[in-house]
This record gives sequence, structure tokens and C-alpha cells, in this order.
Amino acid sequence: MNLKDQSLSSRIFRLLLRIFPSDFREDFGNEMEEVFREQRAETEHAAGKIGLLRLWGETIVGMLRTGPREHLAMLRQDVNYAFRMMRKNPGFTIIAILALALGIGANTAIYSVIHGILLKPLPYPEGDRLVVIRQQALAAGLQDVTFSVPEIADYRARNHTHSGLVEYHTMIFTLLGRGEAQRVRTGVVSAGFFDFFGVQPILGRTFRPSDEEPGAPPVLVLSYEYWKRSQGGDPDIVGKTFEMNDMVHSVVGVLPPVPQYPNDNDVYMPTSACPFRSSAQTKTNRDTRLMRVFGRLKPGVTLEQSKADLKTIALQLQKEYPKSYPSGSGYGAVSIPLQKELTHQARPTLLVLLGAAGFVLLIACANVANLILARMARRERELMIRSTLGANMSRLLRQLVTESAVLGVLAGALGLLFASGSLKLLVEFASRLTPRAREIHIDGPVLLFTLVAALATSIIFGSVSSVCAGEDLSTGLKEGSNQTTIGKGRKRARNVLIVSQVAFSVMLLIGAGLMIRSLIKLQQVDPGFVAQRVLTMRLHLNWSKYNTAQQSREFAQRLLQKLQNQPGVMSAAISSSFPLDPESRIVGPNTSRFQIEGRPTQDGKLDPQTNVRSTSPDYFRTLGIRMLKGRTFSEGDKEQTVQVAVINNSLARHQWKDEDPIGKRVSFDEGKTWIIVVGIAGDVKEFGLDKEAGDELYVPLDQYVAVGSLELRTSGNPLSVATQARRAVREIDPETAISNVETLEQARSDTLNSPRVMTNLLGLFAVLALAIAASGIGGILALSVNQRVHEIGIRMAMGAKTYDVLRMVVGQGMMLVLLGVALGLGGAVVLTRLLGAFLFEVTPTDPVTFLGAALVLLLASLAACYFPARRATRIDPLEALRYE
Amino acid sequence: MNPRDEVSDPPLPLTPAMFQVLLSLADGDKHGYAILKEVAEQARGEVALSAGTLYGIIKRLLAEGMIEECRPRPAREHDDARRRYYRLTDWGRQVAVAEAERMEELIAVARVKRLLKKLKPA
Repeated sequence: MNLKDQSLSSRIFRLLLRIFPSDFREDFGNEMEEVFREQRAETEHAAGKIGLLRLWGETIVGMLRTGPREHLAMLRQDVNYAFRMMRKNPGFTIIAILALALGIGANTAIYSVIHGILLKPLPYPEGDRLVVIRQQALAAGLQDVTFSVPEIADYRARNHTHSGLVEYHTMIFTLLGRGEAQRVRTGVVSAGFFDFFGVQPILGRTFRPSDEEPGAPPVLVLSYEYWKRSQGGDPDIVGKTFEMNDMVHSVVGVLPPVPQYPNDNDVYMPTSACPFRSSAQTKTNRDTRLMRVFGRLKPGVTLEQSKADLKTIALQLQKEYPKSYPSGSGYGAVSIPLQKELTHQARPTLLVLLGAAGFVLLIACANVANLILARMARRERELMIRSTLGANMSRLLRQLVTESAVLGVLAGALGLLFASGSLKLLVEFASRLTPRAREIHIDGPVLLFTLVAALATSIIFGSVSSVCAGEDLSTGLKEGSNQTTIGKGRKRARNVLIVSQVAFSVMLLIGAGLMIRSLIKLQQVDPGFVAQRVLTMRLHLNWSKYNTAQQSREFAQRLLQKLQNQPGVMSAAISSSFPLDPESRIVGPNTSRFQIEGRPTQDGKLDPQTNVRSTSPDYFRTLGIRMLKGRTFSEGDKEQTVQVAVINNSLARHQWKDEDPIGKRVSFDEGKTWIIVVGIAGDVKEFGLDKEAGDELYVPLDQYVAVGSLELRTSGNPLSVATQARRAVREIDPETAISNVETLEQARSDTLNSPRVMTNLLGLFAVLALAIAASGIGGILALSVNQRVHEIGIRMAMGAKTYDVLRMVVGQGMMLVLLGVALGLGGAVVLTRLLGAFLFEVTPTDPVTFLGAALVLLLASLAACYFPARRATRIDPLEALRYE
Repeated sequence: MNPRDEVSDPPLPLTPAMFQVLLSLADGDKHGYAILKEVAEQARGEVALSAGTLYGIIKRLLAEGMIEECRPRPAREHDDARRRYYRLTDWGRQVAVAEAERMEELIAVARVKRLLKKLKPA
């Protein structure tokens, strides 16, 4: 026995030897130590301590140079070997890479969205200090009240915690002189708005204080998207003019692609260019609230300090203007980080999707680990031979892990391709949830994520399979056996892998199932109108030209007359908006407070409020809204006749309970004019199929003119009358812009886009999981049948029937599946609670879905078990006995 | 069997260290320390071999089939149980010769170009 030298020098040298790979150490370590010992002795004798020091230096440098080189050489060798093994087993290689690539691809795709939206800082300098400031009247149920000009001035002057407050509102202008009149969504902002955000234009300049002065020449800044889309990215756009409504504006700059919040605007103009914003009435009336306000926290100021500051100002204002801020309204003001405001809607959706994608990857890992284990049975002989030829255990395991890593990296590359292929769809999906969708890219951090996912994946499945293989191999070697038998450890690992694949698949299936059930329920919701065969479009009158109500009234009357006589049009209506109209879903309800005759407003209480909509008489007929009581509007309800209203069932219930509202009177101007309720209409889902219908009051268009949209009920395909409708509008007034031409069914379907995409993604993940798991179960059973040919042959020779064999093989697989299903159901009870917020009229533990998912999985597994089992029944006992 | 039997072209040029190790084994089997010492003397410090670098080279030469471990070992009185002895294989000898010839040709060129003095007749 070679007793080790215990001198300090030798111990240090042995420590340094750890730089080398283990099998290098095993081969040469002792010898190196011996050589060094002799060298040391001789050097000390010949050159003393100085020589010894030089020897140490040379030796250490040599080791540092050679060690890594040896590692690299071994890696190269292992990688080459791995590629050779993969070429030898193309079936295994393709399945494993595909399964992992799908898992990694799904995760990369979702992560790219999460990184772009949730993790990246806002694309503004010190974007974490930007806040949205909101007024609230919580007692009145108002979370988000816009600001009036005097309010903005007060908050600007009195706050101590913000280095700037800027205002914003959005308007529709009509672009003229370029063919058909076009609708231009316009953000109206403070002159310092873009400097406040730190946005540098990519062309020209943004606004200066002088642009905001009264009488300044009207100027425009274009958004990046509008510049690209409508102006073809014209590099000479600065200086060109836009004729909008009654003014000619010149373009002074183009914005970079930045998230636009709260609206995607086409162009921006300073406040002075907006006639509403610059009117004397808006400037002085505290209750004319149009604007949104953004703030920037001063350096060192926390969000809490900002909130406290705003609260103080709100209390002061409430004291000074009790009429504008009634004491019982719960009036206040708060600040919310802009980052949170831009992403709060997307966050839960994305996290659920990431979780689901993670499950798919885990299932893929389990499946590949299982494939490797199965293949290991066949490779056992090879590994044992290599082992007896001198390869040590850690060397063999290292080889196996390298093979896994190569698989993982290849799958990662393919997964990246999948992810980049799906990116466009994902960006479109994300754009429904957040204005930051344009920031989604496959960039450095995403690539890093993919690499880490690929390597982590290969470490997971590689080490699971290696550990089990190692365990079996060492016992196999100890026993000196050269028979390929499935070791206990490996068999147990395989079973665990199958059970976990099934369990995760069940959870994904249930998640997808719940979303599907919820989507079906949403599609079945009675919206309160008949969406089939209705064409809708938004109309944008050039409001600068329509100075009197009579002008708008005439436009509406002429258009309706023209359209009602068109072939294919059964009825036509004009209204301020229509149900599920995308524009009003952006802006929200047009609510007003009103008084009911005989019920004086109580001190400190707010008047009731309702959404108000102006409609022409045929609105109810055109949209198929049921009348529950009374009458609709008629041609007789004119400007000069008694003012009338139709209310919806919800308003009737809320305000009149058991009383009959018909004949009752309400007022929107504190009793100056009274409006008689003449009818009750059925409730309509105005702002979303998943939202309760709110209170609604309809007034005749002739009495309250507001031309916003056109609705046509047609006898055939609604889109076939679109051209004639457009022509009719143009003939009456070519300066009226038309937008959002679509059928009511499309508008209705669009509201479900977001749940639909989420359902599709979860469904896709679940199908992937099911396919991977089922193929895994089938593959393992097939292998097990192969290994038991001899045993099955004996059983059959002893009289076992086909049915017995079938039952034995299927039973073996289904036992594991049943266990997996049970665990999956348990896990789902816990996890589906996270889906609660996404579900509509379906509980997270919906028994139908749970049963359905379990059934789908059992059937798929049964099918997967059946094929290997059928092969088992075809074993010829004589052949099988000879086989051994 | 020499793994290089069927390969005709020696992998030239060798690194100076590899060549030195082959040279040191040209006149007999040696153990690691002996190789190290001889290389140090031959190369007069131009090739720095240490315990840390020698065995990387030995491993490569073994893998390339240029050297092999000696079995049987030298006569008992010269043997040290902890040491392994290495021997130049036929292939290793061919490679070393080829390398020496390659150098010789280079030196001849250098002489023609008058970078070196002509050899005086013996």
C-alpha cells in the first residue's frame, strides 16, 4: 500500500491536483506527486529556498495551464461522443429534442413577454419615479375621476413632492384634404409633456412653452406608429401641414416608439390648440373634468409621501369648494406608479401562462429522462464494458451529463426558433393587456433565459437519469453481472417520472378546461341585443363646423332617410355609441348625475348617476333590444316636444324598486328641465360580456344630439351594405370621418379576444403536455413488453389468455396513470384558485371540468397502453421461449 | 497494436515539449522524473516542463500511440514500485524521426539563405 506523504508541501500539491479532471488525477496524480517530491528534494539541495520557490511557481503555472486544457479536451471528446450516440439513435434524438424544444420554446416565448412588459424598466429616464395621479370619490364608487383645469392648477401649486405635473386628454379630430376624411386620435398635452417624460423626438422637436401660448401657430407631434402607418415613415415630414377640423397644423416632430398611455394616439397637440381645453368655460369651471395628470416624484420622495401630500391637498380643496367635493363622496387623490399602471392588467395573465409553460417543460424533462433511462437499458452493456476497460464511474456519469447538455442546448436552439416564430402573435395578444407590448423582443436577457432554461433542463433530466443509472451500474458491477436487467432504482425512477407527467398534465388539462368552459359561458351570455346582421361604424363629424345642435340633427335626419331606403337595409339608427363599441370601451361609460322629481338631494349625499345615451327612434329595433314596458322613441319626440327618456331595467330596479317608473320625471340640471320616463328597455351588456349591465338612460337624438355611431340592421351580410353606407355619409358631408366599420358580431367577438387567446395558449400547453405524457407512457410500456417477452411467452404457454395478457400490460400502465390522475386532481384543487379571476361563471373547482380532464387523460393513456399491450398478446410462446 | 499503424502522415509539427519528451525516450525507457530531468538538460531551460505540464503531454502521447507504458518493467534492482516507465513506440519513433528531418530540412534552407554557416566537412 502506498502511504501518502503527509507533509504540507504534498498536501498543497494534492490540493492543486484538483484542478485536473478526476480521471486524469486517477491516472497520473500519484505519479505527479512523486515526481514533484523528487524535484523538490533535488532543487532544495542544489538551489536552496529560492530555487524551491521558483519550482513551486513553475509547477503551479504549469498546472493552471494544463488543468483547464484537460477539461476542455475531455469536454470535446464527450461532445463528439454524444453526437455520435445521437446519430446512432435518430428516433430517440428527434423525440427528445422536439419535446424539450416545445417546452423551452413555450417558456422562452412567455418569458420574452414578461421581460418586455414586467421586468424591463420603463423606457423613460428614471421611469420608476413617474406616477399617475388620480382623483377619487370612493364613497360614490368612483376610482378614477379626471381633473378640471382649476384642479390641475391647485395640485400643481400646492404639492411639495412632485417635480412636475403634466396634463393629458384625448380627442378625435378630422383630417381633411387627403382624400376621404380621416379620424385622427389626438393627445392634447401640456407643452412640457414630453420633456417631463424625457422623450427625445426621432425627428424635429417636441413642444416648447411658446407653443402653448394663446394665439401660437398650431403645431403637431406625430406618434411613431402613425408616422410609419399613415405617412409611410416620411423622413421629410417635419414642416408639412395637416388640415384638421378648421385649423392647419404644422408637424414639428416625430416621437420614438414609446408606450402610449392611456390611449394610443396618432398625433399630439399642445393644450392651446384644443378648442374645448382652451375655452373660457373649461378653463374656469372646476367641475368640467377632462384631463388626466402625470407626476414625477422629486428625488428621495417615496410613494407614501406623495400620497400623503396629495391627500392633504384634497382635504384643503374639499373644505374650500364643498359643492364640487360633497363631504359624503369620499373625495381624495392618490398617486400610482406608472409602471404598475401600465402592467397591472397583464401581470396575472402572464404569470399564469409562465406557470403553465413551466409545467410543459417539466413534463418534457420527465419524459426525456424516462427515454434516457429506457435507452440506458440498451446501453448498459456498453457502459459496463467501458467501465471494465478502466473508465471510472464519475467519468461515465460525466459523459451521460454531457450527452444531456448537448440535447438540451440543441433543444434550446430549436425552442428559440419556435419562440421567435410565435412572437408576433404574442405581441398582438399582449397589446390588448398593456401599451408596453411593443417592447417585447428576443434580446440578450431572453437569450440568457433560454440558455439557462436549456442547461437547467438538461441538468434536471440528465442527473435524474444518471443518478439512477449510476446506482444500477455500480450494483451491476459489484455483482459482476453482465445481464441487462432493469435495476430497482431505475424502475422506481421511471414510475415516479410517469406519475409526475400524468399529474402535471391533469393540472394543465384542468386549467385549460376551466378556461374553455368559461369562454363558452361568455359566448353564451345573452348580451341583451341581437348581434346578427348588424353593421356598425363610428362617425366623426367635423365638430368645428357643427356649431349648433340643429346642424347635427339635420345631418342625422338626412343620413337616416337616405339609408332607410337603401336595398338590404331593414332599419337604421344613429346614436352616441353602441353596446361593446370599442371606442366607448376605451373611454368608459358616459355617466351623469341626475335628480328624481320629489326626492330632494340629501346633504352630503351624491345624486344617483347613470350612463346616458342618445339614440334615434329605431335604435332599439335595429339592435334587437327588448322593450319591457312602455314605448320607445317616436318621430314625434322632437326638440320642442316634451322631453322623454327610456331607462333600462337595472336603473328602474335601482331607483324605483317596486314603483312603476313610467311617467316619473328626472332632471340633469337640478330641475331646470324635466324628462319623463316613457319606457323600460331590457338590460344590455354595454362594456363587456363579463360585466354586469349598469344603469342606463336613453334620450332621443333629436332632443340631445350626439352623433357618434351608425347602426344598420340588414337582410343579408351586413358588410355588403358598408360601401353604400360610406357613400351615403360622404354625400351628405364629405368632411365626416368614418372608422371602425364592422359587424356587431365582430365587436362582440373582439371583446372575447383576450380570454380567447389565453384559453388557446393554455389549451395548446395542455395538448402538448397530454401528447408528451401519453407518448411517454406508451413508450415505456412498449419497452417493458420487449423486456418481458420471455415471461409473457411462458405465461401464454401456461395457458394465459389474450385477455389476461392485455389486462396485465394495460393494468401495469394504468396503475401509474391512476395514481398520477389522483395527484393531479389534488394539485389542481390548490392551483386552479389562481385562475379564479379569469373565470366567468365557472368555479375554480368545477367538478365537470375536473372529471372531464381526468377522463380525457385516462382515455389518452388507455390508448397509449393499448398498442404495446396488443403487441404483447401477439407474442408467439414458442418464439418467445426460443428468444432467450 | 499501434493505433497509428494505418496512418501514414505523422502529425507534424510537434510542439517543442512533445518533441523533447520523445527525444528523451529515444535511447531507453524512462519514468516521469527522468524524462523531466533529461528535458531540462537537453533544452537548457528553453522548454519549461514541470510536474504540472509533463503529464498533460504524456497523456496526449499515450493517446496518440507515440509512447506506451512499459510492461515488463525494468530489472528489479532499477525498479521503483511507485513509478511508471514509458517507452517510445515504433510510431513514436517514426514521428520523432519525421520531426527531426523536418527540422533538418528547415536548417538546410536556413544555410542556403545564409542564415547559418555551412557545415564544415568532418
